Amino acid sequence: MNDFGNLVDKAKKKWALLSDGKIPVIYIGSATCGRAAGAMQTLEAVKRTLKEKKIKAKVVEVGCVGPCYLEPLMDISAGGYPRISYANVSPSDAEMIIESFLVNGNPLPERALAHFGDKDDKISEHIPRFFDLPMMKPQVRVVLRNCGVIDPEDIDHYLARDGYQGLKKAIEIGWKKVIKEVELSGLRGRGGAGFPTFKKWEICRSFPEKTKYMICNVSEGDPGAFMNRSLIESDPHSVLEGLTIAAFAIGSNNGYVYINCGYHLAIARLKIAAEDMRKCGLLGNNILGTGFDFDVIIKEGAGAFVCGEETALIGSIEGKRGMPRSRPPFPAEAGLFGKPTIINNVETLGILPSIIRNGADWHRQYGVEGNYGTKTFSLVGKVRRPGLVEVPLGIKLRDIIFEIGGGSWKKYKGVQTGGPSGGCLSEEFLDIPVEYESMTAAGSIMGSGGMIVMDEDTCAVDLALYFLNFTQKESCGKCSPCRVGTWHMVTILEKIVKGQGQAEDISTLQNLAETIKRTSLCGLGQTAPNPVLTTLRYFRSEYLEHVQEKYCSAGVCKDLVTYIIHPQNCNGCQQCIDVCPTGAITGRRSELHEIDFSRCIKCKACYEVCRFHPLAGNAIEIRSERRVS
Amino acid sequence: MSKGKSSVSIIIDNKPFQVPKGITILEAAEQNDIYIPTLCAHKELTPFGGCRMCIVEVEGFRNFPTACTTPVSEGMIIRTHTAQIQAMRSDILQLLMSEHTSSCLVCAENEECKRYSGTIRKSGITTGCRYCSNDDQCEMQEVAEYLGAKEIVYPISYRNVRVEKEDPFYDRDYNLCILCGRCVRMCQEIRTANVLAFKHSGRKTVVGPAFGRTHMDSGCEFCGACVSVCPTGTLSEKARKWEGKPDREVVTTCSFCGVGCQMRLLVKGDHVIGSLPVIGDMVNDGQLCVRGRFCVNEMVNNYQRLVRPFKTYTDIRVEILWDEAITTAAEQLKNCPPDQFGMVASPNCSNESLYVAQKFARQAMNSHNIDTTARSYYGSGFNEFLSLMKKSVSLDDVRKADTIVCIGLDTRFGRSVIGVELRKAAARGTRIVTFNSRDHNLTLIAEKWLQPTIGHEAEVLEKLVALTKPGKAAAAPKLPADAGVSADDLACAAELLKASKSCVVMIGSDFLQYENSDHILTTIEQLAKNPAIGVMPLPAQNNLNGTFMMGAYPELLPNGCASSSKASRDKLGTAWKAKLPSAKGQWCESMLQQGSRLKVLYLVGETPHGNKAADFTIFQNIYPPDKAVHADLMLPAAAFTEEDGTFINGEGRLQKIRKAVEPPADTMPDWKILCLIAQEMGIKGFDYKSVKDIQKEIASIVPAFKGYDKPSRAPGPIKCDGTLTLSAPGVENMPKRSKKYPFLLTGSVVAHSYRGFPLSLYVNGAKTIFPEGVIEINDEDARKAKIKSGDDVIVESGTLKGHWRVSVIARQPRGTVHVRLRLGEIVSHNPHAVSMRKNDV
Repeated sequence: MNDFGNLVDKAKKKWALLSDGKIPVIYIGSATCGRAAGAMQTLEAVKRTLKEKKIKAKVVEVGCVGPCYLEPLMDISAGGYPRISYANVSPSDAEMIIESFLVNGNPLPERALAHFGDKDDKISEHIPRFFDLPMMKPQVRVVLRNCGVIDPEDIDHYLARDGYQGLKKAIEIGWKKVIKEVELSGLRGRGGAGFPTFKKWEICRSFPEKTKYMICNVSEGDPGAFMNRSLIESDPHSVLEGLTIAAFAIGSNNGYVYINCGYHLAIARLKIAAEDMRKCGLLGNNILGTGFDFDVIIKEGAGAFVCGEETALIGSIEGKRGMPRSRPPFPAEAGLFGKPTIINNVETLGILPSIIRNGADWHRQYGVEGNYGTKTFSLVGKVRRPGLVEVPLGIKLRDIIFEIGGGSWKKYKGVQTGGPSGGCLSEEFLDIPVEYESMTAAGSIMGSGGMIVMDEDTCAVDLALYFLNFTQKESCGKCSPCRVGTWHMVTILEKIVKGQGQAEDISTLQNLAETIKRTSLCGLGQTAPNPVLTTLRYFRSEYLEHVQEKYCSAGVCKDLVTYIIHPQNCNGCQQCIDVCPTGAITGRRSELHEIDFSRCIKCKACYEVCRFHPLAGNAIEIRSERRVS
Repeated sequence: MSKGKSSVSIIIDNKPFQVPKGITILEAAEQNDIYIPTLCAHKELTPFGGCRMCIVEVEGFRNFPTACTTPVSEGMIIRTHTAQIQAMRSDILQLLMSEHTSSCLVCAENEECKRYSGTIRKSGITTGCRYCSNDDQCEMQEVAEYLGAKEIVYPISYRNVRVEKEDPFYDRDYNLCILCGRCVRMCQEIRTANVLAFKHSGRKTVVGPAFGRTHMDSGCEFCGACVSVCPTGTLSEKARKWEGKPDREVVTTCSFCGVGCQMRLLVKGDHVIGSLPVIGDMVNDGQLCVRGRFCVNEMVNNYQRLVRPFKTYTDIRVEILWDEAITTAAEQLKNCPPDQFGMVASPNCSNESLYVAQKFARQAMNSHNIDTTARSYYGSGFNEFLSLMKKSVSLDDVRKADTIVCIGLDTRFGRSVIGVELRKAAARGTRIVTFNSRDHNLTLIAEKWLQPTIGHEAEVLEKLVALTKPGKAAAAPKLPADAGVSADDLACAAELLKASKSCVVMIGSDFLQYENSDHILTTIEQLAKNPAIGVMPLPAQNNLNGTFMMGAYPELLPNGCASSSKASRDKLGTAWKAKLPSAKGQWCESMLQQGSRLKVLYLVGETPHGNKAADFTIFQNIYPPDKAVHADLMLPAAAFTEEDGTFINGEGRLQKIRKAVEPPADTMPDWKILCLIAQEMGIKGFDYKSVKDIQKEIASIVPAFKGYDKPSRAPGPIKCDGTLTLSAPGVENMPKRSKKYPFLLTGSVVAHSYRGFPLSLYVNGAKTIFPEGVIEINDEDARKAKIKSGDDVIVESGTLKGHWRVSVIARQPRGTVHVRLRLGEIVSHNPHAVSMRKNDV
């Protein structure tokens, strides 16, 4: 334990050195979301500029701090200022900011997004505090506390911020107290179903087998969900610490992190983190000199959605095809290689260190009765401020979407929670609390945290079709209701969006959905019809419009819309002619253009260019017209 | 629930039942005659829960659990067919039917159609639906009938995939597949071959080998276990496709190799239409290999069967009646002096036929000139093989062994039943060592693969024996550098053997035709001197043990007594009421030699080539002979599916064969023909009415044969006092490659044959898996020599000239070639240094 104390002291010194302001530090958010926005180019520009200007500064790659729409994010702490964050930093911006800040000493308050300093810091007059930004203020950062703050590839950063204190404490107080603490904290599985974490552990602990397995489930596959990836990319140690604590609690010496092979960066960072842990004696034999042995294998899955299902995941690790099997026996009794196995979601494990370190009561201050703690969501879709957010449970949907997310671009229509297994909740549900029970009662699920916001430009039928298509393609094919049933639902929905729907199709859909829900083998199948069931419930009028009037109010369903060029707006700029892939648009310069509908494939290219090109006049409208059959 | 209680009480459909603990709801229902429809459950396989047909209502359960996967527990209240469940089952069936060509299930003309589709005209008026051959045997039909499905509700959309017909033995029409996963589980769990798997996802999910490989390329053993469990017509045997439902089943013993698998012959009318394994048998435990599963019906039903006696008049074969045939034979034999008579019997014949055959030679012809072709198959190692067979352990010992050494064994096609046992053993933790100079299917499970260079097998084995001897290993001879096996590997294998408490050495066929096979086998025998090591030679012929026990050799009398011993001869003579000759008998090769001056040669179920030796040849078999074989009189014999009798398998188990169908046309069992001729010749003691009479007589002479009526399930080691003299003594100087002859050639004779006829002659699929006249060449050697697969090459050495078709395979060791010889072909020295060139003509 003394060694561990030394480690922490060393790490703290290193961390203090980083923020003492003697040498400027530049932080670049280089998680996948940042990289997608061009963080690596920005990083390169930063390094180049520093070299050219001969500035001595540290460059630290950090993870994702949350507001993905602001990426690439670059933070600089220098010259006695607190860490100041700049948003949407292109390579040229980076050069400009560095020159201004580090050479001329001007932090460019008008360009800055926020600062990470104290409230009473004098810079607050010019630059808002980061956690006071409208997106950040309602959030509570427990799981994400280190995200975007520390270097995920440096264990010292994590150690300096109370890292592995939870593990140390857990081993000190013993497994019984760990489980008790988790029970008192009210922690429920963050993978979606919300099963009390301690209960699973207790069941597993009660089996006498010597070999037990502890698995971290990072098989995140829903469209629009990236909580787990971001967490691992930004703070892998918290997950590994949680995994080790959980393993200690259930008495397991073997751990797996089952992760999508597509998560390259996350895998790389996990591997670095695990290696660092081994070097520090936090993983392997005799952890922290306590005699507790535990090691972890990073297992890359091929990315099938169904492998998020526990039994399928186990099969996949065993080298079999990822297919769910019937329960009982539950994995806690006979899981991986037939041994008692606990599978916890990344986020569940990510919270654990904080719970153990700070105690159950601390955790219970967040959330409401029965739903304690916080939950991360990936807020995406037609929302103004998309990103990764963490809120206390019991918060209203409205607060997440409108306060944090800033509302939808156009008129708000609804939100799809829980990914393809979840449901689509209409406007009237904006004021329900975000709790496991209330979400289920509304016909959706909490899910692992995907939240896709829709506005009036989203067609509910098209959305249902999209998700059904996803589950159909991801169905493992083992059980017939899911394999064939979802496919029939897809064909019926395809008919409806093509305007070929008939009145009885809606009832067939409903029947099929009920059959699939009741008779499917695993959670994927049982929840697959949810998008259809909820849209049928809350957006039935849209289905009826599609079927009876061949009308798509959102103007999304290709076969139900026409493209119209408004003569008063068309200035004959020919931009649309340039982009049209089929040559359907004709017209001379400065004259009214025309669309030949026999050639038009409704690809929306002309619409987009006409709307956004500086020369164009926003003359093209996509319109669906009600037809009475 | 009290501990130790072995049963639980449950309520199914309001009736209380006591059922054993630990079984599933489905099993509990089946035990109490409650029908729960199911498509994916199968009693041999682990529960799957895929078809969802067996959903039931259990009080206290959140959803509808599947009966096949849910174990019963105390006080469970189960309802199996409430209206809601039936409705859901119907819905699921509707979903399945919407992608399964199912007019046979719901067509309104179904009944009428069947009545009119049978016609004697060449073009039927009502042809019926011919997309699926599984009518009346389909489990989906059963379920559809139970649920009363009359129409298909959902839009029909078939998968529209190509019917896969390119692999041998069975067709696959995945349009009919309902993805119950039985074949996949069979292949993975029971056969542990892992060829089949689910591929793709969603609606595109299909079953097949990974990465779009063919079954042939992915290591499929064509055991047909998948076909047996398919509930629909997806998998169908090519040879049995339109035969329909069998009328009855007859249990018998497979006669294609010495394993002795128990099989059920499927009989329809007067034909054997297929064969299935006997489940739970001690030998094969529900498994068969490709030969037993797919080759029986094609082998015995072929239109080329010899069904009437023929006589040859200067190259013209004339059909004659039995009477004439018997008289002709008797006449020829009566005038034949004992030393000019020769008889060659087949080790595929039943014990009874073999016994009568040797009695015929010894009593009727007063000659010991009786032999089998096994002698030439085992070459110089025949006597050693016999002495190993005397020591053979049983398959049960193999199942209990902690280490198994496989010498020259490949179990992919033949003996795949043994392969399954080995894979299961490996999964249990048994350590497998293989010894083979060529790549083979067991390398996948082998802990150590000793790969000696061809020609060095005996030396490497000797070294291994020396290393396993307790005490110092210093005395071990030094291995030459080119032996192919490193000292470390050998030491490692030796350690495994030394550490083993129960080890079994299995001997396959791969070295048996080498000129030094006697040396190799003697070395193995030395290995077996270690009490912890048992041997299990795997004879290629199904009744090789029977030939020893029945005395079908010049040196051996029944019960394995030496024919040279006067006491034995006299004892037998007294039993037969005849005097046995004292002159030494001739063996097969010398009988068949040119100029052996035989007057009459009698071939009982054999077709040795080049037998123009005799003046008059009687050929008794199930097929007419090859053109190369001269036959003056052809007598049609019955196949093993058409006669009663017994075999003794490699372990020494006495096994029964049962008559499944009457012998076709004029054919008769071998013993019967022999008896008729003997009676015609006026010899006494051949008036057996049935095999029972023969069996009684055998039992009085061969003590081990007692209890033939209830064949003991436990194998007994065979007893044999006599030794076999060898026609060809072993050669020790192995050939060396030279500049002139840069390749080392090994040859293997046709092992997959029945009564001298290769299966590949009469069984369609066997042509693919048991090719003949093929020379296997390493891919690099082939590239250098500019030879492709399918080319014809001429192979030459001082004493050999042959041409064979090339098959380029990477697994053939470099610098060596392997020839799968055609029927009747031999290579003078084996192995043999040769040169090779492309036949450009």
